[in-house]
Amino acid sequence: MVTATTKAGPGPFASARGKVLGCDRCGTCLPVCPLFQVQDVERASARGKNALVRGLAEGLIPPDREAQEALEFCLLCRACTDACPGKVPTDEAMLQVRQALADTLGSTPLRSRWIGRVLRRRRMVGLGAAALAGLRAVGLHRLLPSQLVPRETSRQAYLEKHAGPALLGAPAPRPEPALHPGAKVAYFQGCGMKLLFPDASRSTQRILAQLSPFQRPDHPCCGLPHLAHGQREAFLELAQENIRAFEGADLVVTDCASCSGTLKHLASWFAGDSVWEDRAARFSAKVMDLTEYLAAAGYRPQALPGATFTYHDPCHLARGQGIRRQPRQLLEQAGKLIELKEKERCCGGSGSFHLEHPRAAEAILRRKQEDIQGTGAQVVVTACPGCLIQLTRAAEQSGGAFQAMHISQVI
Amino acid sequence: MTTFTAFEPEVLDGFRDAVGREHVIESPLEVFGYSYDASFLALDRNTMPQAVVRPRTTAEISRVMALAHERRIPVTPRGAASGRTGGSVPLQGGIVLSLDRMTSILELDTANMMVSAEPGVRTVDLHDHCARHGLFFPPDPGSWKFSTLGGNVAENAGGMRAVKYGVTRDYVMGLEVVLADGSILETGGKAVKNVTGYDLTGLFVGSEGTLGIVSRALFRLRPLPKARGVLRVVFRTMDEACAAVQEMLLDGVTPSAAEIMDATCLEAVARARNTQVEEGAGACLILEIDGDGPEALEAQSRRIEAITDRTGRIAFRSAASREETEAIWAERRGLSSAVAAMAPNRLGEDISVPRSAFPEVVRRINAISASSGLPIPVFGHAGDGNLHPSVLCDLADPDQAARAHRAVDGIFQAALDLGGTLSGEHGIGITKRPYFADAVGPVSLETHRAVKRALDPLGLLNPGKIW
Repeated sequence: MVTATTKAGPGPFASARGKVLGCDRCGTCLPVCPLFQVQDVERASARGKNALVRGLAEGLIPPDREAQEALEFCLLCRACTDACPGKVPTDEAMLQVRQALADTLGSTPLRSRWIGRVLRRRRMVGLGAAALAGLRAVGLHRLLPSQLVPRETSRQAYLEKHAGPALLGAPAPRPEPALHPGAKVAYFQGCGMKLLFPDASRSTQRILAQLSPFQRPDHPCCGLPHLAHGQREAFLELAQENIRAFEGADLVVTDCASCSGTLKHLASWFAGDSVWEDRAARFSAKVMDLTEYLAAAGYRPQALPGATFTYHDPCHLARGQGIRRQPRQLLEQAGKLIELKEKERCCGGSGSFHLEHPRAAEAILRRKQEDIQGTGAQVVVTACPGCLIQLTRAAEQSGGAFQAMHISQVI
Repeated sequence: MTTFTAFEPEVLDGFRDAVGREHVIESPLEVFGYSYDASFLALDRNTMPQAVVRPRTTAEISRVMALAHERRIPVTPRGAASGRTGGSVPLQGGIVLSLDRMTSILELDTANMMVSAEPGVRTVDLHDHCARHGLFFPPDPGSWKFSTLGGNVAENAGGMRAVKYGVTRDYVMGLEVVLADGSILETGGKAVKNVTGYDLTGLFVGSEGTLGIVSRALFRLRPLPKARGVLRVVFRTMDEACAAVQEMLLDGVTPSAAEIMDATCLEAVARARNTQVEEGAGACLILEIDGDGPEALEAQSRRIEAITDRTGRIAFRSAASREETEAIWAERRGLSSAVAAMAPNRLGEDISVPRSAFPEVVRRINAISASSGLPIPVFGHAGDGNLHPSVLCDLADPDQAARAHRAVDGIFQAALDLGGTLSGEHGIGITKRPYFADAVGPVSLETHRAVKRALDPLGLLNPGKIW
């Protein structure tokens, strides 16, 4: 008689294995995994990676660099979990197993190490932003690869291109603030927005200012890049800093889907910590994505007649936070929204994935670009700088067929 | 890392020459991904192949097979590895012949209503391609969104629509098969009537990769039904529900799907979806009907309403809108995971009995559940006698594991005693192999062996499967 064994046992991979025990390897995730779509070998699929986790935990696969590389090859996009009959959280399993591998091997993979180092230091992010601003001012940023420094489309350029002069500069109608009258709102400016999309970040702040005064506390990175690459200690330190930095705010609004997704789930990482678990939960309860906040606050964007948009759902906003309606509602008020084919399919950005695995990211992006061009929309809009890096690249490659912009720049 | 020694370099080179260097996988980490399927078999280093070879054409398969034959290398064919019985799990090392690069739909012949396709085409893609031309490829195994045609043919896959439209076998008109020594066999063809020689096509359908490699299949099609509707009927007992289905079939109102679930299933789904089960509900039928248009559906719906009224029912609902249709199907689609969520492990079985024995086999399964102390929810395809009892257990507990396996033995025995069979649509593979010889008897077993010897004398094709 053949039996299914459930070799439990402790060991570094036990918690990751616990996440994938519900996987019966049925294969439902195969067609929806964006990486399996561009690299059709089992190792690249969600099922393959979940099996690798079990293989590591059960001693069938050695915990080496090759295993680490294979398990870094995941977008954490949750498309598999969404389709999975048992809702196996592959993304959480990947975070756990990457941490276990980093602990076992003593380091994270070489190519993802730099990002954690840079983003861990507020000063370096600040200096980087200033340096890039300097380069942008004289146009020299174009000498850097566009995966690293995307060519941001400014709101001004967008307005000039798409709107009549009469509309320029006119403030949007002031809404009735429907949300916690007198609530102290704070802006969480993620590293991606600060470094790569300063114009979009200014647009966000322009909108926030229309609704109420807001704070801009000095704060570090949300920590997702660290969590994604097995640097949990760094992540926890950053989380504590952020919790402290926003102590005085009632609402923490961010225009980065990855930041809001991470910040909303801090408490689970402090499970069992008598002080921080509770503080983290209270902090997370204050976090709102920009579009979520604007819809709740009743913000009404100014309409730009003739503007046509399509909207790319960031993984961390749609599947990660269930926010799908709010950005669409805003865009429908700002112009004409044309829905994108497979609108929730990951664009291949995924933090630094596009830098670490450029070929796979490029193949995924090519499909996305075709779908965007298929809509005929002038602008592809999204709500996460991670996606915007990719989509800006797609816009460039389209030879001007469309532009890519953050939602705050068009509403 | 495998228990099998690495191939000699010239063997690997031979496979690389045959399919291209980048389509031979040999790193242990990557090969590990080809050591399992969707059965409950544990991950095991003994099921890792020495290499994975991924051909793109029939000619490439032929070259691979010729080399494997010459060097006595076992070959395990694989599509999407979505099988439930270990059919694509290699037991003796060698190569996994992965057919997932062969994804072309070759010809849609609308005049003859036939389509030919390569084995790596996903079932749903073939269905959709034909549907765009108004034609219908009915086989719809539960895995159709990711399973591939080669596996469907090799396992003779069924599905929900079998009650009205039959199973994969009923659609295969011809095959191109690469035999064990690399020679290429053509069977069948587009002639609907064809009695020239043995039915070799039928021989390969359901042969689980043990007789040859299907490199191309020709399927017949039907006109696409113009309208579909969904009904949900709740009964007090499984007997009443089964009787209703029999009445429908006798009366000539054949639903295109007749999915049945018992009380435990209903409760599991209700819990998962946060809904309420009707008071006194002991069974539920989800029926799909199809026809030429709304009037045809309306007429069928009325007849089914009348029949189920006679056989006893406590609720009847005909989906009036797209949303309602979706809601009813969501109940059926959510069933498998709702049942799985009830326990750490589930041994999902796939027995098939004559339609008339359906209520009796359910009674016996209920008795097995009571004596084993393990919940065994039952759902299945009421119209064709194929049911999927799920033994729920925690295999980490040795006592429960032993009881669970005894329960599975009992379920097989019940099916066989009632004139049924070990597998309706999943195949025998590895997991049901221990039961095979007893189930078919010595003469059938020897006949199977004789066929195998004739086509694969060296025993290289998918060794260790079926018996």
